[in-house]
Amino acid sequence: MMDTINTMSNSLSGWGLWIALVGACLGTYFCRAIGVFLSQSINQDSEIFRWLAAVTYAMVAALTVRLIVMPLGLMATVPLWIRILICALSIGVMISKPTKRLVPALLIGTLLMVGYGIIH
Amino acid sequence: MSSADQPYIDPSEIALEESATQRFKNPSDAFWSGVRDAAGAPAMVLFAGMVGFGAMGKTNGFDVWFTTFTSFFMFALPGQVVLFEMAITGSSVLAIALAVTLTSTRFITMTVTLFPQFHQRDRNRSLYASVHLLAMTAWAISMREFHAIEVKHRLSYFVGLGLLCWLISIPGTILGFYLAGMVPPAVTLGLVFINPLFFLLTFTEVKPWINRLAIFLGCIFGPIFFVIDHDTSLLTAGLVSGTIAYLIDRKFLRKKSGVVG
Repeated sequence: MMDTINTMSNSLSGWGLWIALVGACLGTYFCRAIGVFLSQSINQDSEIFRWLAAVTYAMVAALTVRLIVMPLGLMATVPLWIRILICALSIGVMISKPTKRLVPALLIGTLLMVGYGIIH
Repeated sequence: MSSADQPYIDPSEIALEESATQRFKNPSDAFWSGVRDAAGAPAMVLFAGMVGFGAMGKTNGFDVWFTTFTSFFMFALPGQVVLFEMAITGSSVLAIALAVTLTSTRFITMTVTLFPQFHQRDRNRSLYASVHLLAMTAWAISMREFHAIEVKHRLSYFVGLGLLCWLISIPGTILGFYLAGMVPPAVTLGLVFINPLFFLLTFTEVKPWINRLAIFLGCIFGPIFFVIDHDTSLLTAGLVSGTIAYLIDRKFLRKKSGVVG
């Protein structure tokens, strides 16, 4: 299992990595700052926000599916059906009482994953 | 623990409220109350996410400085995970910066809904510093509590809340990084799994159909675009799915009463 660590052979490295981090930090701060600037004048129900919210959700969904279905590194050693089964069980706990079950659902999913790792 | 446990990604799901009562004696009282309100289940979830992120940094071969800097200067988990995921798969610097910036556009909506609730006196340039403390956790708690806090004490309360959330994310990241190197692989597996599972669970809380549709399409287009071109796939999958969801909502869903929340 430990030899799956260091999967960075094809990845961005050195200065490129730090430049990407600086770009990501600036982009993130830019969004926070533009919010302060706009908070004087703009309406949160405007069309552009509806579109931006939809794009954000779609992007986080694409990311989540990628991390669960086609993961890199350590997570790839767990069979796909186990990953999906654990997700399904966690969602089951979550939707059994949506407003109060985030912590237990997160805990159960994580512990099940640890449990799988111990068995194998 | 009510709405603070619900990690909204789209702030427009909560309506603005007004009114205020005498609750704090002075700004310092409000500040420490903010710190106390953060130190509960919401902070635990954030802390766990940051531990998971640190573990992700370790298992993917990033160094501890890079991983910690990311939490310190970005302080936005979805964007941080996008950064790492795209860096590992070898995306270009420009595609990474653009994709991360797009995931951060939710901060615009959050700021626009939260900051007008501060006192006019507090609404000056210093907000450009305090806004870095704004993230999902602090935003959700503030939106819930502000209506019961005097306008003049709201900024102090928010800073106390946000500061604690930001400060715990640093030790959380470092802890996760070193834990992943020391504990058995089984535990590391659990740590790395925290963030994808957290994002997945938050989707069950999403109410507006436009955003549910965007999530559904993102789940389908994400893997397809990844196979076609993994460099820009998060960006293209997000833009294409989000835009389709927006157009479907605009053309069809909005006209039917009862479908739009």
